[in-house]
Amino acid sequence: MPASMRPGRRREVLVAHALLAPALLLVLGVLAYPVAWEAWISLTSFAARAERPAFVGLANYRAMLADPFFWRALATTVVYFAATTAAKLALGLAMALLLARPARGRALVFLAVFLPWAYPGGVTVVAWYWMLNPPLITSYSVPVGNLKHAVDGLLGGGAYAFASVMLFNIWRGASFTAVFLLAGLNAIPTELFEYARLEERSAWRRFRHVTVPLLRPFLALAVFLSFTGAFADLANVWMLTGGRIVFPVIGTYAYWLGVRSGDLAAAAAWSLSLVPLLALALVVLFRWFDPPREEPA
Amino acid sequence: MAQVLMKDLNKKYDEVHAVKDVNLHIRDKEFIVLVGPSGCGKSTTLRMVAGLEEITSGEIVIGDRVVNDLPPKDRDIAMVFQNYALYPHMTVYDNMAFGLKMRKFPRAEIEKRVREAAEILGIQDLLKRKPRQLSGGQRQRVAVGRAIVRHPQVFLFDEPLSNLDAKLRVQMRVELKRLHDRLETTAIYVTHDQVEAMTLGDRVVVMKDGWVQQVGEPLELYSRPANRFVAGFIGSPAMNFVDVAIAESNGALWAETPGLRIRVPGEQSERLRRYAGQRVTLGVRPEDLRVATTADPPEYAFDSVVEVVEPLGAEMLLDVRAGAHGMVVRVDPSVRVKVHEKVRLALDPARLHFFDLATEAAI
Amino acid sequence: MSRRRLGRLVHGALLGLVALYSVFPIYFITVQSLKTAEEDVFGSPLYVLRPTFENYTELFRGAEARVRGFVIVPRVPFLIWLANSALVLGLAVALTLAAAVAAGYALGRLRPPGWRWWRRALFATYVVPHTILFIPLYQVILALGLDDSHGALVLVYSTMALPFCVWLLSAYYHHLPREIEDSAVVEGASRATAFLRVVLPMSRNVLIAAGLFTVGTVGNDFMLASIFLLTPEKQTVAAGLGVMDVSLEELLAVAGVNLAAVPVALACAVLARRYVEGVTAAMLEGA
Repeated sequence: MPASMRPGRRREVLVAHALLAPALLLVLGVLAYPVAWEAWISLTSFAARAERPAFVGLANYRAMLADPFFWRALATTVVYFAATTAAKLALGLAMALLLARPARGRALVFLAVFLPWAYPGGVTVVAWYWMLNPPLITSYSVPVGNLKHAVDGLLGGGAYAFASVMLFNIWRGASFTAVFLLAGLNAIPTELFEYARLEERSAWRRFRHVTVPLLRPFLALAVFLSFTGAFADLANVWMLTGGRIVFPVIGTYAYWLGVRSGDLAAAAAWSLSLVPLLALALVVLFRWFDPPREEPA
Repeated sequence: MAQVLMKDLNKKYDEVHAVKDVNLHIRDKEFIVLVGPSGCGKSTTLRMVAGLEEITSGEIVIGDRVVNDLPPKDRDIAMVFQNYALYPHMTVYDNMAFGLKMRKFPRAEIEKRVREAAEILGIQDLLKRKPRQLSGGQRQRVAVGRAIVRHPQVFLFDEPLSNLDAKLRVQMRVELKRLHDRLETTAIYVTHDQVEAMTLGDRVVVMKDGWVQQVGEPLELYSRPANRFVAGFIGSPAMNFVDVAIAESNGALWAETPGLRIRVPGEQSERLRRYAGQRVTLGVRPEDLRVATTADPPEYAFDSVVEVVEPLGAEMLLDVRAGAHGMVVRVDPSVRVKVHEKVRLALDPARLHFFDLATEAAI
Repeated sequence: MSRRRLGRLVHGALLGLVALYSVFPIYFITVQSLKTAEEDVFGSPLYVLRPTFENYTELFRGAEARVRGFVIVPRVPFLIWLANSALVLGLAVALTLAAAVAAGYALGRLRPPGWRWWRRALFATYVVPHTILFIPLYQVILALGLDDSHGALVLVYSTMALPFCVWLLSAYYHHLPREIEDSAVVEGASRATAFLRVVLPMSRNVLIAAGLFTVGTVGNDFMLASIFLLTPEKQTVAAGLGVMDVSLEELLAVAGVNLAAVPVALACAVLARRYVEGVTAAMLEGA
């Protein structure tokens, strides 16, 4: 702390640090050891049933990068993130725009839109599972079964299951995005929209040049949260279906490696491979939802 | 005795020196106004008196105590903010009672004071409402009421009328003045509006860039401004300024510039003599100019061309051009002039101002 | 038909479509849960002809196992699970909000040097995928003897939504005009009292937004709950169903999760509007 700080300000800074401490302690306390452990493990040959693990440096990573399966999984993961995020954004934005304009019964629709995300994920995952993969023989099993066959035949085994998860994630995530973007639209003064209507007749152009830039911070935040959400949903589906639905996606494969085959070191390496991607995304997005601004004197 | 003394008051924010060597003696029961453009340091000074800003150097005395190290709540002051700062989740009554509750006043006393203040301000019927249900003027009254109930030694006002529309502002101005007469409490009032300053203040302090430019009664600032800034700031429309050269001719001094040749009146000649051969700034207010008649002496008259006519009803403003200089003249509405017409103007020699070109101080 | 009216009709139709799409899966699963075993197999998936609550009452049933069809359905201590869920969720939200408000106020209003970076650093913890983090977490829990305790789960839960909540609250306190606090201070409140009596009540909408976000994030978790909580007495609904020998195929499970969701859904329905207002208020740029 600079010595030139006035005593009043110095005390204020101390109080600020004290108030900040609980949050920091919580996050650090809970995450520090596991993350460090994971990083360390990825550098060893730790395996559940093996003897003493040895430090192997970047061997796990090298093996991972040399594995063509990894690259396929990475591609699938990126596609999963990108596709679900794009869909969530598009759908969420559309819903938010629809809700922004007054209409009768709008409040009810708003509530309906809010539900998919607010409803505990466990329930809704079950709902989708039943809809798309009826576990019992039901009256609609046959058409669904045919659909599944068709999709799997076209895109490869497991594709239908994968698509179901994506649909679930999109359904859930679009709801969150819609509500979030609605808040963003509310934050923009109506005069800006009215002025745009005077200047530009095409609704699409207005949308592109006025609405989107004004919503940018919200969109950026929504995109990042969509990434983390996509990940969480994936883990849930896996867990609930007892790992029956296996996708070549990095997250679940890492889980399979770690828990099923006990190769924790590789699992750690795989898991951490996503960090640079997400970090990059965050850096880019920070620029849009947390731009450094000049503080007035 | 609720006087307020500021001795060599300074405020620095890192690089910015916001308030520079302010010395003020505010007398008991006085209503003093700090006025100036944005960034002149008036609000900062007020906040230092309130205790919301730390004092870099200097001293502030309220009553008979040095309050530098006292927190706001111990200084016996009350403050009204520009955007009222009413607590949105409390009723009007609770808003007004908050300060008293903080000081652990008994409930009966709180009730008495709040009702009293509400009556003075005419808001007795609003006590159960929340701020968002009130109009701007009503909210402002609640903010004032909140200050009154504390019976402080000093009232501090930070641009309280700036958020009101023009008509309401005029109304509230009068009410505030009446209030001050009734309550007889020392008040420090900050505004950027010189009309408010002139109408409300017992004395007015004009500030610029952190410095006090002049302190005095409104009329004094108007008729004897200490420098060019005060002269241009007080009075609306603003004083006309013309750069002139002082020439001597036959023992008399003349102020000259292309299109204008005015004699320097006797009273001021002495002071201006040493400027002979140099340039100074001439200042004359729009209301001290008039359409010349044949009776007006030529040494205090000049020709001009009308560029814009602004009829205001009770008066008329003419934007004219004399030589290369634009000026504003306030005339009687019955005057008949048209744009592009030539008109001869006369000025009142007793109401001429001269300012040093470099220091801008009044000569 | 005038263009205006057509536009309005289309708008209305789209809204209806959106509502339908949003609610359908929930409606679907509720319908299924109201069916008997036979109707489940033979009836239409879209509606129920003879609704029955037997799946729900089953949840609260007594000790004996029942034989249904060819499957033995054990009794589930559902009420206990429900209570545990409420407890854990409530505590997690409380802890998250308390820490987030403190940190948000510190970063948004008090702004110590480097506050922007603290905020970004906290948010950046989201880049770490949680996939196998539960393994070392569980190690620690075991080592500390905290397995099968609610406290440990609450602590871990509270870190899930914390970064976003801190973000939201710090943005809100950053934009809050200083004058309100100044006024309270001038009136005799200490900074702490000013915060508690004035600033905090004003933050209600933002707190609701942060709270709902926490509920949505934490309520989604199955994995951690089933790992951390072992005995049925301690388990939450999520944990219990995840571990129990009740497969998803059972309508029982379906009914169970649906029931657990109802109070959450109700609360959200009530608070939904404030959630939006809260997010708006937090991110609103100053004039």
